[in-house]
Amino acid sequence: MNHDTLLLELSKILQKNQINTNSDELYDASADRYKKYAKARKVLNVPAPVAIVYPKSTREVSTLLKFCNDNDINVIARGGKTATEGGLENWKETTLVIDALYLDKIIKVDYYNMQATVQAGVALQTLEDVVRPMGFTTGHSPQSKPVAKFGGLVATRSIGQFSTLYGGIEDMVVGLECVFPDGHISLIKNVSRRAGGPDIRHIAIGNEGTLCYITEVTVKLFKHFPQNNQFFGYLIKDVDTGISILREVMVNGYRPSVARTYSEGDAGQHFYHFHKGHCVLIFMAEGNQDIVDATAKGILRAVDKFSEGIIEKVDSQLIEDWFNHLNWSQKDIDDEFEGMLEKDYHAGFTTEVSADWETIVQIYKNVMRRITNEFPRASDLTLLGGHSSHSYINGTNMYFVYNYKINCNPEDELRIYHHPLQTIVVEETLKLGGSMCHHHGIGKYRNEWTKEEHGSAYYMLEKLKEAFDPKGIMNFGTIFPQEDGKKYQK
Amino acid sequence: MKIICLIKFIPDVEDFKYDYERNVLIRENMKQILNPEDACAVAFALTVKRFYPSTVIEVLTMGPQSVSSKMEEILRLDVDHATLITDKAFIGSDTYATSRVLATYLKSSSVDLILSGTHTLDGDTSHVPAQIAEWLELPHVSNIISINMNSMDSGRLVLSVDHDQTIMTFAVPYPSVLSLSKDSAFKMPYVRYDDLNKEVSHRLKVIDCAQLGLRKEEVGFDGSKTQVVSTFVKTMTKKDKTEVKIDEAGLQSVIDLLKEKGVLA
Repeated sequence: MNHDTLLLELSKILQKNQINTNSDELYDASADRYKKYAKARKVLNVPAPVAIVYPKSTREVSTLLKFCNDNDINVIARGGKTATEGGLENWKETTLVIDALYLDKIIKVDYYNMQATVQAGVALQTLEDVVRPMGFTTGHSPQSKPVAKFGGLVATRSIGQFSTLYGGIEDMVVGLECVFPDGHISLIKNVSRRAGGPDIRHIAIGNEGTLCYITEVTVKLFKHFPQNNQFFGYLIKDVDTGISILREVMVNGYRPSVARTYSEGDAGQHFYHFHKGHCVLIFMAEGNQDIVDATAKGILRAVDKFSEGIIEKVDSQLIEDWFNHLNWSQKDIDDEFEGMLEKDYHAGFTTEVSADWETIVQIYKNVMRRITNEFPRASDLTLLGGHSSHSYINGTNMYFVYNYKINCNPEDELRIYHHPLQTIVVEETLKLGGSMCHHHGIGKYRNEWTKEEHGSAYYMLEKLKEAFDPKGIMNFGTIFPQEDGKKYQK
Repeated sequence: MKIICLIKFIPDVEDFKYDYERNVLIRENMKQILNPEDACAVAFALTVKRFYPSTVIEVLTMGPQSVSSKMEEILRLDVDHATLITDKAFIGSDTYATSRVLATYLKSSSVDLILSGTHTLDGDTSHVPAQIAEWLELPHVSNIISINMNSMDSGRLVLSVDHDQTIMTFAVPYPSVLSLSKDSAFKMPYVRYDDLNKEVSHRLKVIDCAQLGLRKEEVGFDGSKTQVVSTFVKTMTKKDKTEVKIDEAGLQSVIDLLKEKGVLA
């Protein structure tokens, strides 16, 4: 279908103000934060979508998807636009971006049953602002909280900064509504638990817009006791010490909301005013007073057990102050964009992986060694490090961070810097049995390793795609590797 | 039009490491960079070539064999030829001997413009381009901050020079030796991704003292007019670092420091 015909057909489905063909906004919709530098410099090498459309109901989403499916039109589902791995990047000449802008209703907040139902386009911050004055929280707090929306948070299996207590989004979603390419609407009801066959929520959670479009989400609510928060901070000898203490806290059953270990380099970025060149370990104990007291005791006991690795205690006020200023706002994102226009410099690229306790430090060391020894532009790195920020009973994550001076053309930046660095992180992680993507999703730039990530279980993923999106119209190139997409990657 | 750019590779003085205990410069693994003002010269030549595609650009340097890879990086831009003049006999050459070597090569070349930077970050004498102009009996202008591209065809190149904060405009004939300032707007492009590993070694010419027809006593220590009595490494002391927050108190600390240093009244 040619673009004019597509727009004509869309005008039969939607009102004029629901169809956006503004060229600047289409350019913006061509890629996400993975290519933020090239995007800022106006050198994107991918096609723009034909239009961005804003359905106002689940029924309209259904009509749009069926129309696209019948006419082989690629669809990209979009929420708050904070994707970092290419999930919102367009690789097809004829693409429609379905944005959740008008799916913006908070449908029900149920304080007795401790759950809230929202449409996909409701920003996380909006719901938090409603429930916080009532003494509740969703418990979900990614750095993108002020901007990110529920549809995207669920579709990417996002995680928040308090995950060690509250869990990832997959632990919070009790039910949801989603629409499949053939127009079928599925509503997964909200129950506390059930054993009614496989947990079908997980077909939608983390699908990254490749199987269905999420239109509505019900998440848990938790009582919130910010007045009880206790912060702990330490300068520590090395990453090994920090990981050992995190493990000690976790395996003894404590659930601090924040439990993090930063390498020297990464600590320098976040805690420049007190890190003194050392690694940093931080905790936050949160919840009702009894739980906070018990958690604090557990943290102190773990720190005491590894006291030979503790250099000094940090004033807890410094940790609290830092945490209160960690989230991005739209202004931060806009300022970053402006900065990239002025400077040949890149701050804020990351690759997040996970592994068991035994393996994570080895992955960290292998990555540091390989980047230092093998990366041809290592001398351009202005920061190389990582932190563990989400821990579980059996392991933790490692969030590799790298900033660099850009000594190449803007259109080559990804191929010369980010992708080779990410490749090293992914290869070393997969080699030791970890997961290459802890919480950003696969997007389009890690799809070359999707099969290796899942091994023999890739069969299940592939069958889901065949069953729910047999014509392959949903977010071409995301999660599932595509031969035609390689020209944008390499 | 044929342009020859005189270039020099120097230690990256902005990225050096210093051993404060032994009070010595750590030279191991020190990165070599193209002298920034020489980069402006190459950038201008590439700009000319963009406007006049028939332009032929050659880069010329005198230095150790080890800079070959750096010369190849420049060849991966739109530069046509590179010449490396290298010989152990050149060790110890001062600016006089260096300019003699380079001028000897240039005398054998047919050239319309000889471009260079005005200063190098390591030596900073500004002697070499001027002395080359003397050897070749050509006009020389230094500290060039802008060049009027529209004047390229007029037989005289119109350019602006920053002379002690006074901007002066000159019209110079071809051929001339022109030395650019770091304040010129010309910025070296980057090598394109697809050209990063391009084979260019066949366009790099390496020549030695004998090929230039120079005698050993004309170059190196013997051919230099500068007598170095002694050298020393400047003693550096490690400065205390104070980090402040981005808040009222932090901003006040910065303002107080700037006032103390006389930057702010």
